[in-house]
Amino acid sequence: MPPTAPALSADGLSKHFGPVGALHDLSLRIEQGEVFGFLGPNGAGKTTTIRLLLGLLVPTSGTATVLGETVTLGGARWRADVGYLPGEVAFWPDLTGLQTLDFLARLACRPPVDRPALLERLGLDAATLGRHVHTYSDGMKQKLGLVQALQGRPRLALLDEPTKGLDPLVQQAFYELVGDARNRGLTLFISSHVLTEVERLCDRIAMLRLGKLVFAGDVEEVRRAQLRRVVAAFAGDVDHEALAHFGTVLEATPRRVALLVAQAELPALVARLGMLPLADLVVEPPSLEEAFLERYR
Amino acid sequence: MSALALLRHLWRRHGVALLLLAAGGAFFQWAITRVVPEASQTGFVRQLFDMAPMPVRVLFGEELVANLSARGFLGFGYVHPFPLILLGIWAVRVATGALAGEIGRGTMDLIASRPVTRGAQVAAAAVAVFAGLAIIWAAAWGGTAVGLAQRPLDGVAAADLLPVAGMGLLLFTSAGAVALLISARSREGGPAVSWCAGLLATSYVLDYLARVWSAIAFLRPLSLFRYYEPQRILREGVAGADVAVLGAVGAAALVLAFVVFGRRDL
Repeated sequence: MPPTAPALSADGLSKHFGPVGALHDLSLRIEQGEVFGFLGPNGAGKTTTIRLLLGLLVPTSGTATVLGETVTLGGARWRADVGYLPGEVAFWPDLTGLQTLDFLARLACRPPVDRPALLERLGLDAATLGRHVHTYSDGMKQKLGLVQALQGRPRLALLDEPTKGLDPLVQQAFYELVGDARNRGLTLFISSHVLTEVERLCDRIAMLRLGKLVFAGDVEEVRRAQLRRVVAAFAGDVDHEALAHFGTVLEATPRRVALLVAQAELPALVARLGMLPLADLVVEPPSLEEAFLERYR
Repeated sequence: MSALALLRHLWRRHGVALLLLAAGGAFFQWAITRVVPEASQTGFVRQLFDMAPMPVRVLFGEELVANLSARGFLGFGYVHPFPLILLGIWAVRVATGALAGEIGRGTMDLIASRPVTRGAQVAAAAVAVFAGLAIIWAAAWGGTAVGLAQRPLDGVAAADLLPVAGMGLLLFTSAGAVALLISARSREGGPAVSWCAGLLATSYVLDYLARVWSAIAFLRPLSLFRYYEPQRILREGVAGADVAVLGAVGAAALVLAFVVFGRRDL
């Protein structure tokens, strides 16, 4: 694959299940080494997109490339370099965890070089791996799913809801894994509902709504575009009308005002507040969650 | 490499069932050799058959009844519902479990997201189905051979049953290919099992009814079991037309399974 080729791209990708349109005209480009977040509410088309990118579904129209190769149903070579964690991970109940990992490593044609480190970090010990998968809790299955996706050190990993069912400690371990993977140049495509997680892990994000792309760009860009919530408390009574033109007043009492203000208006607002008997000032950092909610309301 | 891993996976998942089915087939055919009547007993057995109603005689094979012999009895062992059910269980279990079963369970995503072509998946399933059928049927014939070695019967050698066993294998290879086709286009293992088992049972019943009820005799060629008649094979040898029909049905179903599975959403 040429060094400038995208790790993953979609061009006008659409999928209809009978009369139901699951994905409409999706175009994306994800660069090598990027950690990309894929957001959207249930039914937005995130899983359909991932399954199209893996060649598990036949697109109604459009094309996709993965690691420089066009995705086709028959093509298989590029899949050796791809790790995948399904959103609803399922295993063979009559196999042990170790048999499952061995089988999937053999299928992937890649030695599981990172398995020991992943098992240690995610807290899967030998005794657990020796048990049949049907005895596993949902969280343990999710850990096993993460190990099978990443054990062969793939060049690209598509992780659908990777922290679903994981306790906070293991979530933290997963975040560290992502950090290490990023340092090694692995491209990660993470579909998630957990906005703080995406905000923390990803360089860029895309948001889907009803099968349509509503945003794709840097996390920072989203934050910058977001209105800041500013709360000012005063030592004496003030006329909040004097602040109304800086943004939208959310609540106002004689000694307290809360506003939504664009980033560009902040310096002027702070200067104006300095002329008032200011007792306290809070400028809340914009969150991805607010951006998400704004786009889906 | 990946296809071999897939094949090993299928063997691991179905190996115990294969052993049990093969043991069941071997024991049944061995047991048949133990109950074959001696030449001195055939008169009594013929009287029993003569008293039986026509549908029962048809079930056993009218030729068997007409020419009561050790060879006929042994041939009956290869058309008895028990060994046929053993073969049917294997064909349906493995064919539906390998494709539709993986999709329904949700494990197909783990397989298909790896460097395994769709064709390799169907091929691995086909090899597992056909090889398992061959093993079960070979074990069954082995049961006949061991039984005849322990209790030699005049004018009968285990090798005489080889053409019968071969045609039985061809019949179920063909049925296994049809089961693969059904599995290749299904989304769940359960419905695929129902369709396959229903189709096999319907085919068997249709053949039986068409033999006892002349009004629907014209439907008999629609049943796969029409092309597998052990008594006739023992008497006249394997009919080339029967081989051609079963082979053609199996080949067509297998090709369609490759095509359908290669183009579908998983």
